Amino acid sequence: MKRTLRFLFGLALLSLVFSLVTAAAPKSIKVIMGLAEEEWKVMRELVFPAFEKEHNVKIEAYQAEAQDTEKILEARVRANRMDIDLIAQDNMRLATLVEKDLVEDLSAFRSLIPATVYPSLVEVGEFDGKLYFLPYRPNVEIAFYNSAKFAQYGLEPPANWDQLFEVAKFFYEKEGVGRVAIKADLSSCTAAHLFDFCRSAGGDPVVLNDKGCFEAFMFLQKLWPYLSPDSKTANWNFMNQHIATESVYLGQNWPFGMNVIVKDGGKKEVLAYHGWRGPVKESHVLGGEVIGIPKGAPNKMLAIELAKYLISKEVQEVLTTHNGWPAVRSDAYGKVAAWQQPYFDAINEALAHAEARPNLVYYSAVEKALNEAFRECVIEGKPVKPTLEKWAKYIEDNKR
Amino acid sequence: MKTVKRMDLALVERTRNRKKFYRAFSRSMRVLFIALTIFFILAPILLLIKISVSAPQDILTQHPPFLIKNFTWSHWRKVLAAGHIWVPLWKSIVVATFVALSGIIIAAPGAYVISRLPRKIKYGVLLAIFSTRMFPEVGIALPISVTFVRWGLVDTNLGLILAHLIKVLPLMAWILTGTFDSIPKDLEQSAMVDGCDKVQALAKVVLPLSLTGIAAASILCWLESWNEFTYAVYLCLAESTLPIKTYYYVRRGNWFESAAYAVFLTIPVMVVTFVLQNFLRNDYLSGAIKY
Repeated sequence: MKRTLRFLFGLALLSLVFSLVTAAAPKSIKVIMGLAEEEWKVMRELVFPAFEKEHNVKIEAYQAEAQDTEKILEARVRANRMDIDLIAQDNMRLATLVEKDLVEDLSAFRSLIPATVYPSLVEVGEFDGKLYFLPYRPNVEIAFYNSAKFAQYGLEPPANWDQLFEVAKFFYEKEGVGRVAIKADLSSCTAAHLFDFCRSAGGDPVVLNDKGCFEAFMFLQKLWPYLSPDSKTANWNFMNQHIATESVYLGQNWPFGMNVIVKDGGKKEVLAYHGWRGPVKESHVLGGEVIGIPKGAPNKMLAIELAKYLISKEVQEVLTTHNGWPAVRSDAYGKVAAWQQPYFDAINEALAHAEARPNLVYYSAVEKALNEAFRECVIEGKPVKPTLEKWAKYIEDNKR
Repeated sequence: MKTVKRMDLALVERTRNRKKFYRAFSRSMRVLFIALTIFFILAPILLLIKISVSAPQDILTQHPPFLIKNFTWSHWRKVLAAGHIWVPLWKSIVVATFVALSGIIIAAPGAYVISRLPRKIKYGVLLAIFSTRMFPEVGIALPISVTFVRWGLVDTNLGLILAHLIKVLPLMAWILTGTFDSIPKDLEQSAMVDGCDKVQALAKVVLPLSLTGIAAASILCWLESWNEFTYAVYLCLAESTLPIKTYYYVRRGNWFESAAYAVFLTIPVMVVTFVLQNFLRNDYLSGAIKY
């Protein structure tokens, strides 16, 4: 009897010790982000440790690009084996995640968004009135230009469409080849550019057959002969290459270009400004990243805490200072490196004119219509009005 | 008479000269064709090497020089010092090697049996095996990955090896069937007449003679696995393979380090190809059978 009691007591003691050990052991939370090496370093050394310490948790962060994140989540959701807790996703690739029901509805956590977060950044995470994504990092395209070439010809970077046309024509006539480029590879990059042009003329690219869109496409038709032939291959990646190799002197791209062209490429003569305005206004597509919680995430509440931490003032300031990212909230001020400052100013100026794209489940149809209309009107020279009418009908049909 | 003879001689001489000219011409055309082919194959690799060891001012200019002007190891140093290359490299080597080895172990016996089937049945079976390759990879990768996720094969070498085998087994079976087809049945029968049993005939006669085909199949399958991308995206998260790692570098836009990664990616391929090409000889069966 005594021996049995002793055995039971020992067993109880052992289980108590075991439970204490397991309670003390840190849990882990899995996160997916698409970052460059230097950005990962900032995350791992300056951002994650404070959260890990506070919550006694280990953040396992993995690299994946936006389109791969979709695949990774889809396989796990379909297998009913979700092991990812949080994703930071490109805000241009959200519709698929919502459409395929791969992310949690975060409407109940709307109150976590600080009042100082720019409202347009909240809109991109909403679908049919529900909040699926929390704002995290804004981004906007800026115009990169080769200041040495502009100075050589005594030119100023264009501030409006008329000047843009004049500059493009000037370079074409002087050098025998266009030196101004737009992204015309007929990918989602082209569609983003067309959003800017249509909205700058007061049009709605989702409608497509309105006065503003007609004007934008007619302007592009006029501009096209004077543009660089590299426009046809220019996208988010090749635009940097064209500018860095001086086959293009002026072109719009995402701010990461400053790291590629200036920091890594040493092309200090490539400067940036916010871009040009159209006949009605200046407009830039609001890009960037948002935070989502995958459907069935094993540590949902902890992931919400991490999201809250990532949009906090102190983290946003760290990200601005060390990664050169503009902050998601108006009360976060980071100090960027001296060489980054002019580019950062351009980003902030462009952000003041940034407009989110509407979150539509038929967005792929809008993108196709815009790109096809561009190909037919601008590249092949077909008349603008009937072509836009045709593609506007295509959007309408897909809407239904 | 003499004149006619002289004319004949001149004609013979002219014909001989013409033949000599045609021979020299065809030889130089062949050399030119080979040189051009080699140039087009090697040019992208040379360009990658050049970018990976050139200072930015050599590359980022309107008229880049043909040769390396400002040589630098700094891009390589950055890539190697970061230390992110070794884990993906090891994973890729392990997976590709196991895919090639297990592919041979699985496909060789099957291919031998297929090659000894009657001709009509043989082609039917081969077509059936190849029908699995008719579906686009992106279409079947998701359902397969879902199953693998359920089985807990994510982030394991085993998962990736199995996924790659789906891709390479039909290819291996096809190549090896052709190899076994080229080995005459009479050779096996002769070995059996000389006292070998069926297994010994296979091990001592058929297998050594099929080394060429096995080496060719191994190289192709190793390369298929080494370069594979779609399944690796679905099934590798914590530890990616080298192509995925290179892709992430390219996506993030640093051309010089991307070039260093890409060159690094080709080094094991060259090593494997050089090692296995020793087995690629076409004189194995010459004089094997006398009729």
